[in-house]
Amino acid sequence: MFAKILIANRGEIAVRVIRACKEMGIRTVAVYSEADREALHVSLADESICVGPAPSALSYLNQEALLSAALNTGCEAVHPGYGFLSENPGFASLCSENGLKFIGPSAETIRRMGNKDEAKRAMAAAGVPVIPGREDIKDLSQAQKAAQEIGFPLLIKARSGGGGRGIRRVKGPEALDHAFTEAAFEAQSCFSDPALYMEKLLTDVKHVEVQVLCDSRGNAVCFGERDCSMQRKHQKILEESPCAAISPQQRAKLMKYARQAVRALRYEGVGTLEFLMDTQGNIYFMEMNTRLQVEHPVTEFVCGIDLVKWQIRTAAGIHLPFRQKDISTLGHAIECRINAEDPAKGFAPGGGTVDILHIPGGPWVRFDTALYQGYSLPLHYDSLIAKLIVFAPTRTEAIRKMLSALCETVIEGVDHTALFQAELMTDPGFEDGSYTTDYLASRRAMDD
Amino acid sequence: MIEKSLFRDPNLRLEGQEDAPEKVPVSTCPRCRKNQELPALAQGLFLCPRCGYHFKINARDRIGMTLDEGSFREMGKRIASKDPLSFPGYKEKLEQARGQSGEHEAVITGAGSIFGQPCAFFAMEYQFMMGSMGAAVGEKLTRLFERALERRLPVVGYPLSGGARVQEGIHSLMQMAKVSGAVRRHADSGLLYIAVLCDATTGGVAASFALQADIILAEPGALVGFAGPRVIEQTTRQKLPEGFQRAEFQMEKGFVGKIVRRREQRELLGLLLRMHAGGPA
Repeated sequence: MFAKILIANRGEIAVRVIRACKEMGIRTVAVYSEADREALHVSLADESICVGPAPSALSYLNQEALLSAALNTGCEAVHPGYGFLSENPGFASLCSENGLKFIGPSAETIRRMGNKDEAKRAMAAAGVPVIPGREDIKDLSQAQKAAQEIGFPLLIKARSGGGGRGIRRVKGPEALDHAFTEAAFEAQSCFSDPALYMEKLLTDVKHVEVQVLCDSRGNAVCFGERDCSMQRKHQKILEESPCAAISPQQRAKLMKYARQAVRALRYEGVGTLEFLMDTQGNIYFMEMNTRLQVEHPVTEFVCGIDLVKWQIRTAAGIHLPFRQKDISTLGHAIECRINAEDPAKGFAPGGGTVDILHIPGGPWVRFDTALYQGYSLPLHYDSLIAKLIVFAPTRTEAIRKMLSALCETVIEGVDHTALFQAELMTDPGFEDGSYTTDYLASRRAMDD
Repeated sequence: MIEKSLFRDPNLRLEGQEDAPEKVPVSTCPRCRKNQELPALAQGLFLCPRCGYHFKINARDRIGMTLDEGSFREMGKRIASKDPLSFPGYKEKLEQARGQSGEHEAVITGAGSIFGQPCAFFAMEYQFMMGSMGAAVGEKLTRLFERALERRLPVVGYPLSGGARVQEGIHSLMQMAKVSGAVRRHADSGLLYIAVLCDATTGGVAASFALQADIILAEPGALVGFAGPRVIEQTTRQKLPEGFQRAEFQMEKGFVGKIVRRREQRELLGLLLRMHAGGPA
């Protein structure tokens, strides 16, 4: 086991990792930017090192500074948390070059999964269904043929595209010629590469993901699914496990695909496979996150396992003492993300000083945060300030618990989204569990 | 100590009775804290059954409880404020106010009758930006008084306002002069104007048409004044006496003719209109 770990992150996730380390007897080194001198993770860790000025590019993303902090303090491993450098293959290999264990999969796996095309190909090769599409379409006759195979509605995308350019939505065959010509022209003029690919446009889908944990011996365990379909502008708002709108057959399929995927990748550590599920129950691989996720506590509740500890243990080469058959899920867990954003002002992020802080309590109520009373929120980083997670035997009871806990939450001095979340708990679209990724956007359209 | 108000009520259904019929909304009296179911409150003219507190009420409810049933004909329904100064956030605020109140503007104008006595009538809407006066409110009121003058009708009005609408700047301030002019021409031709001041009648509205009525009545406890008591306290750094600027205080000072409880308003208005209607005694 590692005697000392550097935590290359900030906020609630840094606190979460430090806590796990303390329980395991691991010494911790926190890093911080000049704006984070007074942050909780700095006080909580055994040692803390300033790695640069406030902008994250100069501090939390400053690979050289992080590595020298780790080496100077005698760390054996680096925990990247989520965001920042957690999915940066360059940083992962830099760590191993310097004799530090990067707590995550290999740099090669991170790179492969980070490249969407390559990830899709790898998954298809492993027998996991991917969103139907055709690559390398050169002319209109190929496009018409591909469209027949894929079906409408579909998307035409530039192979070399990015930032939303070179993408066309095609509703039906009559619009195909025009959209194809336009997209090809735009692809040529913007990216000097006229090659296009086409894929099925999925609307009204559920975003479900599977938590996996693998050791170095190839023992891969799936921990049930999380429903992350409640999204605002592609940002997850809340997550729950299990998904309320999935049949046991679909769940079994999901788990089968996830295990096929991680086996083919020879994956190590914790990871998440994200899938889209359409209204007919078809499941498609979307992407894989090769790191710990914000919503991991939901799975910890229903499976009764500490994912961060196991992430560290597997990184240290310890083998999982359990197999897939030993895993069972129990009850229902929900997580609400509380962001320092003002819902009345279009969710504009804001700062402030926390004047009054009251954290909700009670059985199976968990509040992951780096806030404390008197803390001044810096404006340079992500707006997530707290995660409230509850667990109950049934979904109905979990919703009641979440609503009560949200109503008890007091964070004065900072605009935040707890009230918005409380309203969501009684939203009929959430209550019946049928919501899809478009739900919040369509609800807003109805309000307007 | 953490203030009680910082915690919210999750307001969950009783366990095991999730399928019971919808809970009736409840209103709490700001004075004596008595909880009262909203439909019952509406039945009782929005008066607190325990302490008699006069709740603020919507302009539509006011029309319903004051005018003869079915007599009201609305005027200037489509007049609504634009955003002449492109004031930041005003458009959203207007949208929100329209959603909240279900009205296009902060005043409803029209004509109807009280115990058969015809009159022009206006009532202001507190849920529309606290009845603040912008160009549209001024225009609707001006037209009301002009129409009343043409038709030789008395005007009965329920002013209620936080004052001029800051988001329209000078456009809203000039409404004070414009409406005052129309009130004056109406008065000069010998026609009657009765105002019943509601909680709260302040700012540019108090400083113009609200206090220009021939007969000024007020609801009990209504706040009537130009600057609000909090502003005065902050500016003068003096503690104000209890009940300062309440209708009772203003009556003592001569600004208000009579305080009339909601239950008696319709009766009194009818009587006043009949007395001033002219014709054979």
